[in-house]
Amino acid sequence: MTGLPQQLLKGIRVNAVAGQRPVHIDGHTTVPALLRARCQENGAATAHREKDLGIWQAYSWTDYLTHARHIGLGLRALGLQRGDVISILSEDNKEWMYCDMAAQCMGAVSSGVYTTDSASQLAYLVNDSGSKFLFVENEEQLDKFLEVADQMPSLVKVIIFDPEGLHDFAHPKCLFLSDLYDLGRRHDDEALFNAEIDATKAGDLAVLIYTSGTTGQPKGVMLTQENILAGMEASLYGLPFEKRAEQLCFLPLCHILERIVSLYTPLIVSSTVNFAESPETVFDNLREVSPHGFVAVPRVWEKVYSRVTIMAQEATLIGRWAFGQAVKAGRARAEYTIEGRPVPALVALRYRIWDALVLANLRRLLGMDRLKQGLTGAAPISPDLLRWYHAIGVPLYEGWGMSETTGVGSINLPRANKAGSIGQPVPGIQLRIAPDGEIQLRGLNVFSGYLNKPDKTAEAFTDDGWMRTGDVGRIDNQGFVTITGRMKDIIITAGGKNVTPAEIESRLKFSPFISDAVVIGDRRKYLTCLIMIDQENVEKFAQDNKVPFGDFRSLCRAQPVVDLIRREVEAVNKEFARVEQIKDFRLIDVLLTAEDEELTATMKLKRATVEKRHKALIDAMY
Amino acid sequence: MSALLEVRNLETFYGPIMAIRGVSLEVNKGEVVTVLGANGAGKTTLLKTISGIMDPEKGQVLFEGEEIQGREPHQIVKRGIVQVPEGREVFPLLTVEENLALGAYTRSDKAEIARDRDLVFSYFPILAERRRQEAGTLSGGQQQMLAIGRGLMLRPKIMLLDEPSLGLSPLLTQEIFTILRRLNADEGVTMMVVEQNAAVALDLADRGYVMELGRIVMSDSAERLAASEDIQSFYLGHANEGARGERRWKKRKTWR
Repeated sequence: MTGLPQQLLKGIRVNAVAGQRPVHIDGHTTVPALLRARCQENGAATAHREKDLGIWQAYSWTDYLTHARHIGLGLRALGLQRGDVISILSEDNKEWMYCDMAAQCMGAVSSGVYTTDSASQLAYLVNDSGSKFLFVENEEQLDKFLEVADQMPSLVKVIIFDPEGLHDFAHPKCLFLSDLYDLGRRHDDEALFNAEIDATKAGDLAVLIYTSGTTGQPKGVMLTQENILAGMEASLYGLPFEKRAEQLCFLPLCHILERIVSLYTPLIVSSTVNFAESPETVFDNLREVSPHGFVAVPRVWEKVYSRVTIMAQEATLIGRWAFGQAVKAGRARAEYTIEGRPVPALVALRYRIWDALVLANLRRLLGMDRLKQGLTGAAPISPDLLRWYHAIGVPLYEGWGMSETTGVGSINLPRANKAGSIGQPVPGIQLRIAPDGEIQLRGLNVFSGYLNKPDKTAEAFTDDGWMRTGDVGRIDNQGFVTITGRMKDIIITAGGKNVTPAEIESRLKFSPFISDAVVIGDRRKYLTCLIMIDQENVEKFAQDNKVPFGDFRSLCRAQPVVDLIRREVEAVNKEFARVEQIKDFRLIDVLLTAEDEELTATMKLKRATVEKRHKALIDAMY
Repeated sequence: MSALLEVRNLETFYGPIMAIRGVSLEVNKGEVVTVLGANGAGKTTLLKTISGIMDPEKGQVLFEGEEIQGREPHQIVKRGIVQVPEGREVFPLLTVEENLALGAYTRSDKAEIARDRDLVFSYFPILAERRRQEAGTLSGGQQQMLAIGRGLMLRPKIMLLDEPSLGLSPLLTQEIFTILRRLNADEGVTMMVVEQNAAVALDLADRGYVMELGRIVMSDSAERLAASEDIQSFYLGHANEGARGERRWKKRKTWR
């Protein structure tokens, strides 16, 4: 390497100062080169596990590289060239991983498509990225392709992972993954494969991440090899686990968060990835795997919390009492640990007793007994929830990143933590607050632009080369950053007052009964709000308070439920100025799923779509 | 208007297993209400809890405005709630007449009972023909008719029917549901019908509820339920063949 000073961080050699060119991990400057090195180094050790007919099956690092090579060479035989794009439409599984890596090894670009996307959205993504190959998981996803097959001229071949139910199926453009493996084996040529890996340069485009697009069409974020390596280098500083650590992969790999956590992080520390069977079985899988590291969105952490609370309420009298005492002891200690202060002996002792009696069992029950620290990101989380996790002995920290910054940006760490903030900028990243309050970033992890959208790319950067995050926030004297809103979402009421809805919305979301909210009021006389209730907790409330309800709609219409939400809204109103008061609200009485256009893949409400779809509800409030 | 039967926030357990997770529904006088759901949705448990065979952990069952949850089954029968159990369960060694007589066990007015028996026979002529035959030797459809007839002998204010179509041929199912419709129209019998056969049930019912995993996920008028996309693909078997014409997968349920 060049003459930059080096350091060994957690056993990994990196530049002594983060964020400098050439970014490398153990001397490798691209993902495929690092993959090859790790696979050779770890050989027969387990790289990932996946359930087959209910039994966890292990796959070695050698398997990993071999599969990637066969797919890569198979694609090459079908006409893949450097710089081509492949799209992957599948739930998380090992094949997803192989295809992503195969593409990168061959100098191609990989792009993920959410399984919840519709056929027309698939067509848009394939066409926008100009994909030459499309990988589909099974017949369900295949049908999406078939529905719009004639609208995607760039596609050469479609490869199907799972042949179940398709034995009579034949289509000139389609083949099964097993056929592709055969093709790759017939054209197997390690020297050629290695040459392709070596030909990849740091500046090459590696992946496309389509942003959920809360407004307008999704935009393809172009990330280079260097962007990803810089993201990996930055995350190494906050990484809580070591070699052979167990991880659980369950969020969509199309999303930058899971992509960096489950595909690229294991390449840094040679950890083992376990693929959850399905989004519904995450909690069971969590218990089975008991990972050392667990990164999830606030929704998941909230679910775990709700489950435990409900379990505790339904326990015996003694059980309830003990749980209450244990959490109390945990909270007392969390007061200190959360800020990294030393814990007084008595508080520590009391915690240790309750930990042995109750909390350790609870963590085992949840599958968090080996978890040194949890990480949450992609949406704001309630500081109360953070404290609760600290109390039960699962130190949970909040981080922040965007697709445009390869998923890393700022993070709270055990030694530097401030609940409610998104933490300090990660090493190698510069962060500033513009005069208008916008958070702006600079670093090697910052993307090179949006595909096919030079105007959007231009908008994303300032004249002096800083990236506009679009988030409004502040930074305190210790360097902790707090996000207060989105630039675009600033509401100007008819009275001319500027309001950042995100601040109010995230306060609302901290209520256990509110899953998401959209504040409305642009060019209106006053502010109102559409609220999506948290089904589980509100149902529990209704049951406990003998509120009869049938389906979700009648639950939303039940007067006690409306009153409950009104109390929550009023509580939030107290924290805001007079112009920021929510005068009225409506509940969205349809149970939205990820397939619905109103929601992003991370289950956040899309402002523009919600405003359009529920116009009648909104108009009723004015 | 207050409902004849009202269930509020019912929760029922089998040991540690929560079979009913908070169900609320109502049946008005003269109405036919159907509860649809797959195996294990909790439909039968719901009926058993209403008729007192099982006790709820939480929630109320109101009949004519009075709480009846947790009462003994015989007290509930006396109030006029009759359950026609799943799988017929007639007394196989007793004759048809004896079975019907048992249905009127709580009544004493002989003349009225005789009139009701004739009424049952007028609706189910086949039972009149076989009045002296042992019930165990009847066909499945006839046993189902007998079970319904036995229930009618109480002059119930509401009949809870647990899968009357179970194990019957489509033709017999049609026949029995036709008779149920007449009973409702002509005699004003209020019914709550639990069914897996959504097509016949929605055809008969005024309103319907869909249960899944112990919860109600949908409730609406029978016509609107029958028109809903989810009901069509999950209960009525209307498949969207998809692009290949042989689609196997099913889209996720949204219940709207």
